[in-house]
Amino acid sequence: MHALLLNGATRDGGYLDSVERHLEAALTGAGWETDRVVLRRSKMAACRGCFGCWIATPGICVIDDDAREVARLMVKSDLLVGLTPVVFGGYSADFKKALDRSIGNILPFFIRQAGEVVHARRYPYEWRLAGIGLQERADPDEADLFRRLVARNARNFQCSRAGATVLVETDPWGKAAAELTRLLEEMGVGV
Amino acid sequence: MSRPRSALLLVGSPRGARSTSASLGGYLLERLAGQGVTASARFVEDLPSAATQDHGLPAAARAADLLIASFPLYVDALPAPVTRAMEAIAAGRLQDRATGGRRDFVAMVNCGFPEAQQAEVALAICRRFAAAAGFCWLGGLAMGLGGTLGGRPLGQGDGRFGHVEEGLDLAAAALARGEAVPERAVRLLARPIVPPARFVAMGNRYWSAKAAARGIQDRLRDRPYQR
Ligand SMILES: Cc1cc2nc3c(=O)[nH]c(=O)nc-3n(C[C@H](O)[C@H](O)[C@H](O)COP(=O)(O)O)c2cc1C
Repeated sequence: MHALLLNGATRDGGYLDSVERHLEAALTGAGWETDRVVLRRSKMAACRGCFGCWIATPGICVIDDDAREVARLMVKSDLLVGLTPVVFGGYSADFKKALDRSIGNILPFFIRQAGEVVHARRYPYEWRLAGIGLQERADPDEADLFRRLVARNARNFQCSRAGATVLVETDPWGKAAAELTRLLEEMGVGV
Repeated sequence: MSRPRSALLLVGSPRGARSTSASLGGYLLERLAGQGVTASARFVEDLPSAATQDHGLPAAARAADLLIASFPLYVDALPAPVTRAMEAIAAGRLQDRATGGRRDFVAMVNCGFPEAQQAEVALAICRRFAAAAGFCWLGGLAMGLGGTLGGRPLGQGDGRFGHVEEGLDLAAAALARGEAVPERAVRLLARPIVPPARFVAMGNRYWSAKAAARGIQDRLRDRPYQR
């Protein structure tokens, strides 16, 4: 099994980098292979909204930069773990950029599912999504919005499992570690 | 209620002036201008965070009495550069706290899917931005099937968009008075232009035709990153 850790933290050496190291060790310990991408060090332009990844070069973004490799790693992975500061209840711009640039991994075609229109899958693989948000201060409403966003993404990307957690920088590490273990278990990683 | 004297539209689509975001925002801006509000528009660019801070956009956004963000829904939320711009605008709050005065914010999202409620999380994010940046939240409008408008201007007599224009007229009238967008405007914008069931077949034909025009219809389902 394979996991991709996508780190959308804005600065080096912060809390989310510790979370990333912790998760990598936990996943490796459970027999998973991992890839890691630190998005603030990637060369990645924002999506141009051209849909070239659907109708010009299907499955590949027309912009040749690091987003192509991130999209490839997403397809290779059974589990995508996103790490991001919670920004107004959503993702950091760096993390969001990687997601925006990955829509070539789904098909342009529409299907109806549970009363809503979504895109059909390009790849037949099962795919799980875990969102990990970080707040400077505890804000339950904001954390709730973050979880709703992850659930929305999971629905539109047709993930077979999805979960989210919001950590608070001032929380003791033991609390965060327990929460990460719970999330990995929810994702089917035996830790 | 304080009436805004100036309004700034931020167009958050990378398609710029050819976007549906610009069509919707531009129409609202015209209506505001018609009610005596000094109106201007800027496009959100893809800039690194330091450059976003130095760029004139955050200061301009904070200088307007009414800030309008119009953007496409990207992966259930705001396009990345819009988040970046909002962070820069919110960061400016500390610098100009002394100047005080009320600032209003309204958000407009258009999405590709027929259901405008798919933009609900994005609007909730906008509302939190408003609170964090010291703006008074005057509400959010969401429109489904933004692609049907396809960046063409509103107000050209196309009956399919009559309810969108009516909703924006109502919103502009309220905003010009310093009031929140009325519920009826929200409902009008959210009204499906094509029923979802019909849209699926229509949309799928659209993508096939687009690919056929490029001679790649048999490559649409390619799996370049197949494991
Ligand atoms: C990267 C990307 C992600 C998108 N994600 C969504 C989405 O999650 N939900 C949706 O309804 N439409 C989505 N769309 C469709 C756009 O919201 C839609 O095409 C919109 O009308 C574009 O507006 P614009 O002309 O203002 O750019 C996405 C488009 C792109 C390019």
